[in-house]
Amino acid sequence: MPTVVLLDSSLSMTRPVSVEGSEEFQRKNLAVHGMTMLFEHMATNYRLEFTSLVAFSSLWELLVPFSRDYNTLQEALNNLEDYDKTCLEAALQGVSNVVQQEWGTSCPCQVVLVTDGALGIGRGSLRHSLQTVKQRVDDKKFPLPFPFPSKLYVMCIANAEELQATDSMDNLEQLINLNGGEGQIYTMEGPLCLKSVQSMFGKLIDQAYSPFHAVLRCGNLTSDVQVFPRPEPVTIDEEVDPIPKTVQTDLEIVGFIEIGDISSPPVLSRHLVLPIAVSKEGDEIGTGATDDTEEETSTNQMAGKSPNFCVLLHGSLKVEGMVALVQLGPDWFGMLYSQADSKKKSNLMMSLFDPGSEPLPWLGRMSQLGPASDAAENPYGEDDSKSPFPIQPKHKRSYAQNVTVWIKASGLQTDVQKILRNAKKLPEKTQTFYKELNRLRKAALAFGFWELLKSVAELLERECTLLPDSAHPDAAFQLSHAAQQLKLASSGDSKYAAFEQNITPMLTDFSGGGGADRI
Amino acid sequence: MHFYLAPVRLLANPPCSSLCRRTGLRMFSVSHKTAFVVDHCPYMAESCRQLIECDMLTKSRSQGVIPLAPVSKSLWTCAIECSMEYCRILFDVYPTWKLVNYIVSDSEVHILNSWKQEDQNTHELMAALAAVGPPNPRQDPECCSVLHGLVAAVESLCKITEYQHESRTTLMDTADRVANRGRIICLTNAKSDTHVRMLEDCVLETIQEQNKRAAGSDRLMPIQQCELVLVHIYPQGEETLVSDRQKKELSSMLSSEVHSVRAGRYLASKLNVLVQQHFDLASTTITNIPMKEEQHANTSANYDVELLHHRDAHMEFIKSGDLHMAGSTSRDSGLKETVTLKWCTPRTNSVELHYCTGAYRISPVDVNSRPSSCLTNFLLNGRSVLLEQPRKSGSKVISHMLSSHGGEIFLHVLNSTRSTLEDPPSISEGCGGRVTDYRITDFGEFMRENRLTPFPDSMIDAAGRTPVERAKSQLERYTRYWPMIISQTTIFNMQAVVPLANLIVKDTLTDEDVLTCQKTVYNLVDMERKSDPLPISTVGSRGKGPKRDEQYRIMWNELETLVKAHVGTSERHQRVLECISACRSKPPEEEERKKRGRKREDKEDKTEKNGKDTEEKGWTTDSERLKGVMEREKDEQSECEIIKDSPDSPEPLNKKPRLATEEQQPPEKSKGPVSLLTLWTNRITQANSRKHQEFAGRLSSVNNKAELYQHLKEENGMDVHENGKATR
Repeated sequence: MPTVVLLDSSLSMTRPVSVEGSEEFQRKNLAVHGMTMLFEHMATNYRLEFTSLVAFSSLWELLVPFSRDYNTLQEALNNLEDYDKTCLEAALQGVSNVVQQEWGTSCPCQVVLVTDGALGIGRGSLRHSLQTVKQRVDDKKFPLPFPFPSKLYVMCIANAEELQATDSMDNLEQLINLNGGEGQIYTMEGPLCLKSVQSMFGKLIDQAYSPFHAVLRCGNLTSDVQVFPRPEPVTIDEEVDPIPKTVQTDLEIVGFIEIGDISSPPVLSRHLVLPIAVSKEGDEIGTGATDDTEEETSTNQMAGKSPNFCVLLHGSLKVEGMVALVQLGPDWFGMLYSQADSKKKSNLMMSLFDPGSEPLPWLGRMSQLGPASDAAENPYGEDDSKSPFPIQPKHKRSYAQNVTVWIKASGLQTDVQKILRNAKKLPEKTQTFYKELNRLRKAALAFGFWELLKSVAELLERECTLLPDSAHPDAAFQLSHAAQQLKLASSGDSKYAAFEQNITPMLTDFSGGGGADRI
Repeated sequence: MHFYLAPVRLLANPPCSSLCRRTGLRMFSVSHKTAFVVDHCPYMAESCRQLIECDMLTKSRSQGVIPLAPVSKSLWTCAIECSMEYCRILFDVYPTWKLVNYIVSDSEVHILNSWKQEDQNTHELMAALAAVGPPNPRQDPECCSVLHGLVAAVESLCKITEYQHESRTTLMDTADRVANRGRIICLTNAKSDTHVRMLEDCVLETIQEQNKRAAGSDRLMPIQQCELVLVHIYPQGEETLVSDRQKKELSSMLSSEVHSVRAGRYLASKLNVLVQQHFDLASTTITNIPMKEEQHANTSANYDVELLHHRDAHMEFIKSGDLHMAGSTSRDSGLKETVTLKWCTPRTNSVELHYCTGAYRISPVDVNSRPSSCLTNFLLNGRSVLLEQPRKSGSKVISHMLSSHGGEIFLHVLNSTRSTLEDPPSISEGCGGRVTDYRITDFGEFMRENRLTPFPDSMIDAAGRTPVERAKSQLERYTRYWPMIISQTTIFNMQAVVPLANLIVKDTLTDEDVLTCQKTVYNLVDMERKSDPLPISTVGSRGKGPKRDEQYRIMWNELETLVKAHVGTSERHQRVLECISACRSKPPEEEERKKRGRKREDKEDKTEKNGKDTEEKGWTTDSERLKGVMEREKDEQSECEIIKDSPDSPEPLNKKPRLATEEQQPPEKSKGPVSLLTLWTNRITQANSRKHQEFAGRLSSVNNKAELYQHLKEENGMDVHENGKATR
């Protein structure tokens, strides 16, 4: 989940904060302090997060495009300039563009708006934007809700009382509502000082940037892992089951499946599974970091040298071309597999399926998957030549069975012609002739299209009169028999018009060819 | 494994397996239940007045033949085939959860199927329709009405479906969250707008009436929301007596809309639009499909095929505003848009795991056309096709994939935007990344043994465990002792241990299995007696590693650890451990064993008769141990085959060569610091010894020199013992 930090750089951010003590702070300084804390946290615990920094006033500027280089982000914070008034709508539109250009519209993003809560006056102010939100034409729509899934966090360098004194708080709340309620407003508690800004950003970190640690299990083989990006709770049906489902911290492998059998399943999200070393105190020490302190590096080297289940699993999944099915919670599954990037680096990846008992129709119900060794006969065959997957549905789809559709005249004409074509090749084509005839008969009976049966009967009778002298005598018998049967069916008489009944070839003295098939 | 039929049968499928996840469709929305009410009154027998020529062959025929009169469908036939087409598309795209109840109305009500899942297919409906037959034009129009059907539809909507029932049962306290909504599609020929209003009023009244009844019943649910879709069908060339009307709320429960449509193809395209609206479908046209013509096998023409599927497959286009750019007008309806995607001829059949964000079932618009059936057959035969998004400029973007799974075709949405997971740290940089001797192949084998397979819904084992629970417990058993790296284990590097290692992890052992395990143990005893080298890792230890007897001690300890981990599983597992404890060499017990051995000396003759006639010297201490065990076995189960069996067990491989090399080494060298070369060679030889059977030549070599063409000597009657093998 990439992050955009949207920083208010209007003049009001330079308002001084009264603090007892020697140094005088501006709100901007407090904001920078908080963001520094956020970036430091990400650099150590959430280092794979892509973050970009956008500053805005009446205009907006992309200071740092999406990056994992937190030094650059920090540097940009140190070189901020002050501009004119706050104009949030344009800035949010800017964020929307920046995100869509980089990630498209399906990737969820977090937007962290850092502001003093003075949201502008007159045209371009948030108040004005919100008042006119319903009068927009198509190309000037308010940027919220964002077209991509998002969370909007508003970090106010102000306390709640201050914001409630004006309509700022109301406006911000309205903003979150416009984003479908996805987001939260944070305000400072107590006097505006470094401590309270720390505690506010601390809350944001806990809420949005706490790493997801879990234990990956395969029977008794385990590994402590970080799952990145952290899996977010999912709601399937707000009406029946409004409680969001969360991924449990015990990821239990239930078994293995060939890549060909799981065959590119649709997934909710993908996550890296990074083994982590847990020291004796229970603290986590990085995920294979490269530029930590010396002490940590040595610990990491140690961790690198002790065998880890993730590495073993990854290696075997890669070599065998398999995936591991992993249970994420009650009735919720995912898969682990080896994912190689363009540079031939590979990694253990976890994809989450939709929550539910049967996320992939071709695997069937997940709870009904059991060890192949329990089956009476090896479902994979003794030489691995078979597979129990995919599961066949009970009924074939229309395109997999020979359905009859006469909505277009051409459909009906083709079917009649097929019969006539075969009629000309009697008795060689007796079986196909009757097969096509019966297909037409069934459809005509179902559609109540008796007129067609009469017509086709007449066609066959005429065919019979047009038979050349050289024709096999059986052809004439079969044609008139078929015509007669169709006529009987068209009467609607239940004796002849039963749907499941078929017209069978007439048994004749000549039916050496046609009749032989039935004997 | 014992199975019995579980009393509960769980319904297949979740509400919407990836089919409606992001649009927030509710499980029990209006589209959960669709009641079709088709008018079967005498006026429906009227012709739609669109003629179809079915005597096409006359053109090529002789002049004398008078072509047959064209046929014309009745209003009834038009209504039936269009509603069947609606159902065909619906069942293709939603084989579960979206249910149809088909009702025909004349002087009475004919209910052709139920909400049950097994009734949801067009074949059953067609059979039922055939039984009803076309309307009888001579029936008294006064006693016929579509009203009977509408009343029945409302009653039917009140009936609980399997899905509603199951959800209510699972939710228990919050069962009231399960909603009851539905839609009635009424195909009729109305007389006027007033007639339409009368029909609407009747539905509204019936809902109110039925809701009161339903409140007091377990099998019925009051209707919370009902959409009435009235389709007035009139013959070609007639003025319509009924005006179209947009959806209007008649009450908080009922909304109604009126469509006035000419029969025939107009009706077909109307119902096609309706099925798309009702079930959130969208259209994709696959373009540039190359197909060979039968007549011109060398050339191929390009065709287009239009497919319907859930509209979420276009989510990315809709959100990014690309839809209008990509879209063109559909050929068929003229009303809806279709997204055009370009066919990319598949190069290989390689198995690849694509990053796929959604998969949606498809239904071809024109199911019987040649291009459609060519495409669907190609896919059903197991090929996948990538689809390219046409862009005005720039690189080609693969955005979708068509693929079939078990006879169902899915449109997969592939991720085509930048990944947030790019450039992750490689697994080799993280924890455990520097370790190089993981048992990758062994774990691969382990994964194959723990592959999953589907079991029938009713299969739970005697302990009441579902198959997935059994799978987990199997993994638990298989990993009780599973060293991850080669240098951490001896027994798993030995071919000789494989039979036991494979069996001991099992839930249940047969007597035969126990026997196999025992044989494995005896075999190891034999190896020890012969001082066969073991693939003990020398990594991390100085020198050549532990001495031979120390090696065996390590091996036995490890084997014991493995078996002890399973000893609680069953009494037979226990017996395997007992066998090991009895057979393994334990220095303190040496004396005791010898004593026992002397006591049994008199029995030796008998054993030797059964045994192999090799190396008489060998039958000293080890055979005593063996016999000791055998005695006990006999006491326990009086099975004397063991005696016969043990000497027959396969002889261990490579015994001599490593011995020879070691003997070559000057004793002082082995004690002092070892050169890097020696360390390396030891390691390599050890690794190699695990991988292959030793060459026969090297096995029988003296001082690493093997004599060639020994058989010639043999044939010539020369002394074979020369090469030193037999002299040892």
